[in-house]
Amino acid sequence: MKSINILALILLVSVAAISQDFDKNIATARTTYSSGNLQDSRFAMEQILRDLDMAIGKEILKLLPTKIGALPAVEKDDNVSGTGGAVGLYVNRHYGADPKRGSIEIMNNSPLINSLSAILSMPIIGGMMRDENQKIIKVQGYKSILNKNVDSESGKTNYELQIPMNNTLLTLKMDDTTEGEITTTANAIPLSKIVQIAQ
Amino acid sequence: MKLHNILILGAGLCFASFANEAQVLNRLKQKVENKTEQKAGQEIDKLFGGKKKDQPNGQSGQGGANGAGGINGSGGNNPANNAGGGLISTPPDVKQNLADAESAYKKSSYGEARYSVQQAMLGVELEIGNKILKSLPESIAGLNKDAESDQVASAGWGWAGLTIQREYKDKKDKQLTVTIANNSVWMAGVNAYLTSGGYAQQTNGEQNWKQTKVKGYRAIIEYNEGSGYKLSVPLGQSSIVVYEGINFASEPDMMKAAEAVDLDSIKKELGEQ
Repeated sequence: MKSINILALILLVSVAAISQDFDKNIATARTTYSSGNLQDSRFAMEQILRDLDMAIGKEILKLLPTKIGALPAVEKDDNVSGTGGAVGLYVNRHYGADPKRGSIEIMNNSPLINSLSAILSMPIIGGMMRDENQKIIKVQGYKSILNKNVDSESGKTNYELQIPMNNTLLTLKMDDTTEGEITTTANAIPLSKIVQIAQ
Repeated sequence: MKLHNILILGAGLCFASFANEAQVLNRLKQKVENKTEQKAGQEIDKLFGGKKKDQPNGQSGQGGANGAGGINGSGGNNPANNAGGGLISTPPDVKQNLADAESAYKKSSYGEARYSVQQAMLGVELEIGNKILKSLPESIAGLNKDAESDQVASAGWGWAGLTIQREYKDKKDKQLTVTIANNSVWMAGVNAYLTSGGYAQQTNGEQNWKQTKVKGYRAIIEYNEGSGYKLSVPLGQSSIVVYEGINFASEPDMMKAAEAVDLDSIKKELGEQ
C-alpha cells in the first residue's frame, strides 16, 4: 500500500513537471514565431512533442497491469521515452525476476509494423513464412502473432506476442509459460484504451 | 524425253497440291485462332465488364485503344478525368494549431495536442523553406530559375524533415538542381566520408569523388558519366546542401556555380551553428 502511494506521488510530481515544461515551451513557440524567429519556434515545438510523448507514456503506464501471470511489475524499471520525431513514443514495463521474467513494450511507428501487418493481412505471405513456432491468433479482436521459443539449455518454453494496432505495436513477452497463460494475460490488457491514448 | 516431261508434270502437280494443302491449313489455323481470341475476349469482357460489349464495325473483340476507356477498349468502363483543379495548397495555421494544442492539453487529450503541434511545426517548416527559396539567386552560371519546379516539402515531425529544391535551366540541356535538406539522412553518409579522412581516395586511375571546400565548408564532389556532377555540402549539425549539375564543362565550372549560393545565410535560416 505504501509503495502504491509512493508510485502515485512520483507520477503526480512528474506530470506536474511535464505540465510546467509544456506551458513554458508553448509560450516560447508562440513568442518566437510572432517575432519571426522560426528556427527557435520550431525547436520549442520539438520540445513540446517530447513532453507530450512523455505525458502519453505515463498515462499508458497507468493502464498496464501490475502483474502478469504470477509475475509482479518492477515499477522502478518503468521506461517512457519520446523522441518527438517519427518514431515517437516508447513505453516499457518489466515483470518478475530471473529466471522467470516478462515484459510489455509499446512502440509507435515501430519498424516491424509493416512486416507484421503483411503477415497478418496477406495469407500468401503468412503461408510462405509459416513455421511451427509461429501462430496467428486474435486478442480482443486484434490479429496478433504468437511466437514460441524453446530454450535449448533450460528446456523452458518462452512466448512472445506481437499485437500491431494501426501504427502502435504492443509486444508481450513471458518466460517459462504456456500459450493459455500468455493469451489470458494479453486479454487482460486494455488494448483499445492504450491505442486511443497512444495515437 | 516423253518420260522426262511426264516426270516434270507429276512433280509440278504434287507441289501445287502441297501448296494448296498448306494454304487450306493456314486458313483453318487462322479461323481457329480468331475464334479462340474472340472467345477469350468475350470471357475477359464478362470478367471485367460484367457484360458482353457490342463490337463496333463487326470487329472481333481484340480492338485497339478506345479513348477514355483504357488500354484495351473492352472492359474499361471508367471515364478519364479531365476536370477539377487539383488540391489547393494550404499551409497549416501555426497560431491556431498552437492554440488547439494548448486547449487539447488542458483537457488531457494528449494525442490531439500532439497532432496540433505537428501541424504547427509543418507550418513553420514550410515558412522556413519558402524564406530560403526566396533567398536563392534568380540565375546561376547563365541558367535561369525554373519557378514552376520550386519545391518545399516537410514531414512536419523532424525525421525526414524539411526539403527545399530549386532547378536552374537553360533552353538546351544544361541544368543545376539545388536541394537543401534539414535533419537529412544524407548527412550520415556524407559525414562518414568527411570524418574518415578521405578513405579510398585514389591517386591514379579514374577519380569519381573527392573532398573539396565550398566557401570554407568541407564538401564532397562526385562525378558520374550518366548524371554529371554532384556536390554535397553539410551545414552544421543536421543540414545539407546538394548541388547536381548536368552538362557542366568541368569541375571548376561546377564549383563556381556552387559558390553563387549564400551558404551562410541558409545556415543561419536553418538555425545551424
